[in-house]
Amino acid sequence: MNFLQRLFGAEKKPNSSIATNDELKTPLPDAVKSEPPILARTDETAPVLPSTASLESKFIDGATRPLSEETLIAFLGNEHLTFGQSSDVGMVRTNNQDAIYSFFSTLRSSEERPDFGLFIVADGMGGHHDGEKASAVTARTVAVQVTSTIFTPMLAGDTKDQPPITEALMSAIEKANAEVIRHVPDGGTTMTAACIIGDLAYIAHVGDSRIYLITKDSIDQLTRDHSLVQRLIELDQLTPEEAANHPNKNMLYRALGQNELVEVDMMTRRLPPRSRLLLCSDGLWNQVENKEMWDTVKQSATPQDACNKLVALANQRGGGDNISVVLLSMPG
Amino acid sequence: MPETTQFSGVGGDGNQDTTLKANFVLQNRYKIMGVLGGGGMGTVYQARDLNFTDVRRLVAIKEMHTIATDAALRASMLKTFRREANILAALSHPAIVKIYDYFDLNDRAYLIMEYVNGSDLELLLSKTRELPNDKILEWAIDLCDVLDYLHNQKPDPIVFRDMKPSNVMIDSLGKIRLIDFGIAKTFVSGVKHTMIGTEGYSAPEQYKGDVSPQSDIYSFGATLHHVLTRKDPRLEPPFSFHERPILDYNADINPSLVMIVEKALNFKSDDRYKTCVEMKEAIQALRYHPVNVLSAPDHAQVSENGGTDFFNDSIDTGAIQPRWVFKSEDEIRCSPAAIKDLAFIGSYDNNVWALNRDTGELVWKYATMSGIASSPVIDEANRLVVFGSEDNSFYALDYRSGRMNWSFQTKDRVRGMARVEHGHVFFGSDDGKVYALGAANGRQLWAYDTTAPVRGRPFVTNELVIVGSESGEVTALSLAGARKWSYRTRRGVISSPYVDTQEGICYVGSTDGFMYAVDVSNGFSSWRFRTTGPIISSPIEHKGLLYFGSADGNLYAINAQSSREKWRFATDKPIVSSPIIHKELLYFGGTDDYLYCLDATNGKERWKFKTNGPITAAACIADDVILVGSMDHTLYALPLVN
Repeated sequence: MNFLQRLFGAEKKPNSSIATNDELKTPLPDAVKSEPPILARTDETAPVLPSTASLESKFIDGATRPLSEETLIAFLGNEHLTFGQSSDVGMVRTNNQDAIYSFFSTLRSSEERPDFGLFIVADGMGGHHDGEKASAVTARTVAVQVTSTIFTPMLAGDTKDQPPITEALMSAIEKANAEVIRHVPDGGTTMTAACIIGDLAYIAHVGDSRIYLITKDSIDQLTRDHSLVQRLIELDQLTPEEAANHPNKNMLYRALGQNELVEVDMMTRRLPPRSRLLLCSDGLWNQVENKEMWDTVKQSATPQDACNKLVALANQRGGGDNISVVLLSMPG
Repeated sequence: MPETTQFSGVGGDGNQDTTLKANFVLQNRYKIMGVLGGGGMGTVYQARDLNFTDVRRLVAIKEMHTIATDAALRASMLKTFRREANILAALSHPAIVKIYDYFDLNDRAYLIMEYVNGSDLELLLSKTRELPNDKILEWAIDLCDVLDYLHNQKPDPIVFRDMKPSNVMIDSLGKIRLIDFGIAKTFVSGVKHTMIGTEGYSAPEQYKGDVSPQSDIYSFGATLHHVLTRKDPRLEPPFSFHERPILDYNADINPSLVMIVEKALNFKSDDRYKTCVEMKEAIQALRYHPVNVLSAPDHAQVSENGGTDFFNDSIDTGAIQPRWVFKSEDEIRCSPAAIKDLAFIGSYDNNVWALNRDTGELVWKYATMSGIASSPVIDEANRLVVFGSEDNSFYALDYRSGRMNWSFQTKDRVRGMARVEHGHVFFGSDDGKVYALGAANGRQLWAYDTTAPVRGRPFVTNELVIVGSESGEVTALSLAGARKWSYRTRRGVISSPYVDTQEGICYVGSTDGFMYAVDVSNGFSSWRFRTTGPIISSPIEHKGLLYFGSADGNLYAINAQSSREKWRFATDKPIVSSPIIHKELLYFGGTDDYLYCLDATNGKERWKFKTNGPITAAACIADDVILVGSMDHTLYALPLVN
C-alpha cells in the first residue's frame, strides 16, 4: 500500500484502517482479498468507459500481482467522470427502502457540450411499503424532471430563456415532493442529489443522506443533516459521540412528503480534478467513520470497487439499516 | 400534523382498527360516545360516566397503547404509567384538568379525565387570524401560575414536559386548562425507525434526558412564540426561534414581551427565568404599565448582547470629519482612483482632476469635450490613468503630468469603466462595442459588437473577457475577441460582472432585478437571486458571501454557493453604487446621500457619513483614507476609522 500512501500523502494508522478484506462479511472477488489492493473485475453495474475498458482488459490477467505505481496513476487519470453505485438491504431489515440513481452523458463532437451527470440517493421511511415507494417515486420524478428541463435542452443547445440550473433542480424536487404527498401520503423520504455539469456540482439536499467531497488530502461533508441531533450538536447541546447513540438520532425535521412546501438546501461546488463525490444514505455513515470512507475510497481501484467495499464494511458492522452508496470520480 | 410518531415504525398492526366503538361500555362504567382526537400513541374519547344515572356527566378518556413487543418492557411502562397517574390524580388546581380514575386493560392504559368543553389553543390558532394581545397576556399569566403550582409540588417538582398549544384548552369561559401531561411519553420509547418531524416545543436539554422546571419555561416560551408569530415550530428546524424574530411577523407586539419570550427561549437553561413566578412578574409588568416604562433598560440589555453598537453612534454624531474635500464644478458620478500620493476623479464638469491624496490640493486637470461619467483606472505599468468621456473618446494620460499619451474615438459616449489586464485596455461604449486596445499605444486589437450600450466594466480572466450589455446579455469573449457564450437576462445589464476565478463563477446583476450566478466555463446559469428593484450596483465576493446593492434600497449579502440571504441592510433610497470591502468592513454609498460603513459579516452599521447629494459610484480605499464622490460635486477624503 506504500505507493498509494505516497500517491495520496496519506498517514495510515494501523487500527483505524478499514478491516482487511478477509474480515469483511460479504465475500469479495478473490482478487480483492490480497493486499495491496489490486485491480479487480468489478460489478457489471460499473460503467465501463472506452478509455478504462482497454486498460482493464490489459491488466486483468495480472490481477493477482500488484500493479506498478505508474500503471495505477495512469489508470486514475480518466478522461471522463466515472462512477459506481451500490445499494444493499443490510443485515437487519427485510426490505430496502433506499433508491439510488446514476446517469452520465458525455459527447465528443464539433459542438461543445459539457459532460452531464445526475446522481440521487433517496432514503425512504414509513410503514408497510411506504418508505420504498416514497424513495422510488422521488428518484424517478427528479430524474425525469431534470432530464427534460436541464439535460435535454442542454444537449439540444437550446438553453435560451432556460431557468437557472438550481431553479430547475428545485422545481424537480418540488414536483417529487408533490408526487410523494399524492401517491404515498404516509411515506416520506430524504433526497440528496448532485447534478454535474462540466466540473461544477449542483447539490440539492433534504434529510440526512449525505454528500462528501473526497480529495487526496481530505474528506468533507458538504451537506448538513436535517436531523434533531445535528441541531443539538450545532447548539453545543450534544457532542457528536453522544449523538451517535442518541435515542432520537433518526429524527428528521425535514424530508420530502412531509409538507406541501419543502425547503431544499442548494449549493454549487466546483469539483477539483481527481476528486471524488460520495453520496450515501445513513446506513453507511452511521456505521463507517469518515476516515474509513476516505481510506476505502483511496484504496479502491475503481469507484464501483469502493462502493462494494463500503457496503460490505457497513454490513460487517451490523448493517442495521439499508446501505446505499454512489461514488463519482472526477477526471484529471 | 407532523408529530414525532407519525411513522411509528410498526409494520403490521397499523391498519387494524382497534378504536373503541360508540356505545361500547368500558369497565362497566364509561359509555363511549365518540372520538375527540387521536395521535400516534393513542386515542381520546368522549364518554359518559354511567355511575351518574341522573346527571349527564361527561368524561374524556385517554387511551394509550404500548407498542413494545417485549413483555417485560411493557410491564415496566405500565408501572411507570400507574406511578405517574397517581401523582396527577392528587393534583388540585383550577387550571388543571381533573383526573378521576386510571386503570389498565389488555395492555392498554386508560386515564379518565374531566371533560372540558372548549377548544385547544392549536385549534384556536388555526381558526382565527388574530388573537387579542390582552387575552394572550392573561393566558400567559395563568399558565405561569399553573406551571408554578406544578413546579412547587412536594417532595419533587412536577415538570409538565409537554407544554404546547394543543395541550392548552381554552374552556367555554375563556380560561386556560392544561389537559395533557408528559405521561403519554412513557409509551413512545423503543421506536427505532427514522421519523419525520420534531416536537417543536421541547427544550434542548430534554433530548438529553435532563428535565427541569426550566424546560417547561422553554416550552412555554416556544408556545408563546408560536401564538405571537403564528409560525408553527414543528415545521421549522428545531430550536430556531431566534431566526424568526417575533416583530418580523407581528409588529404590534410590545418589544418587552418579545424580550420575555426570548429570555424563556435561551438554549442554556441557566439563562432563562429561574422560576415561573419571575416570568409571571415580568409579564404582569407589561400588563399594568405603559409600554415605554421598560424600554430604556431593555435597550441597554440589547447592546450588551452585541445587538447594537453604541460606540458607533458616537461616530455618527459628528466624530467623523473629512480629512479634506475637493469641490469640482459639476456632479461626480464616477469612482475615484488613487496611486501613490495621487488621487483622481472625473467630474461632469468635463475634467479629470488629479489631486494630492493627503491634502486634496490640485496637481493637474485635464479637460475633455464633455462630462465624465467613466471612472478613471490606473495602468501602473504604463504610468497611465485611463477613462472615457461623454465626448465619445477614450483617453490615456500620463498620471504624473496629465499629458495625453493617446486617445481613441468611439461612435458614442464612453461611460463604462475600463479594465487593464494582459497589457491591454478593455472597455465598453454606448455604441454597443467592447474594445480591446493596446495599453501602451491605444491601438485597437479587436472590437466586439453587443448591439446595445455597454456601461459596465468588463471582467478579464486568464482566458475570457466577460461583459454585460444593455441588450440584457452577458457575453464571454476569448482574449482574441471571439464569442464563447452568452447568457440572456430579461433586461439591460449595467452592473459589472464579477468573477470568482477560484470557483469559476461569474456574478452579475441585471435591471430585471435579479442577481445571476453563471458558470464561467459554459455560460449556464446556476442560480438567480431576486430583489425588488433593478440591480445596477456591481457585486463583489468576499469569503463566500456576495455583496451588492439594489434599487429596492437594500444592500444584500448572500451566500455565493447557495444564494441564500445572509443579511440585508435597508436604506431609504435606491443603491446604485457598488460596495467595497476593506478589513472586514463594507463601504457603500446610497442615493440617500450617505456613505455607509457596515460590518461585512453581519451587516450591522458601524458608521455613516452624510454628503449633500446622492452617491452613485463606489468609494475607493487609498492607504488610510476613503475617497468618495457625490452628486453634490464634491470628492470627500475620510479617515479610515476602525
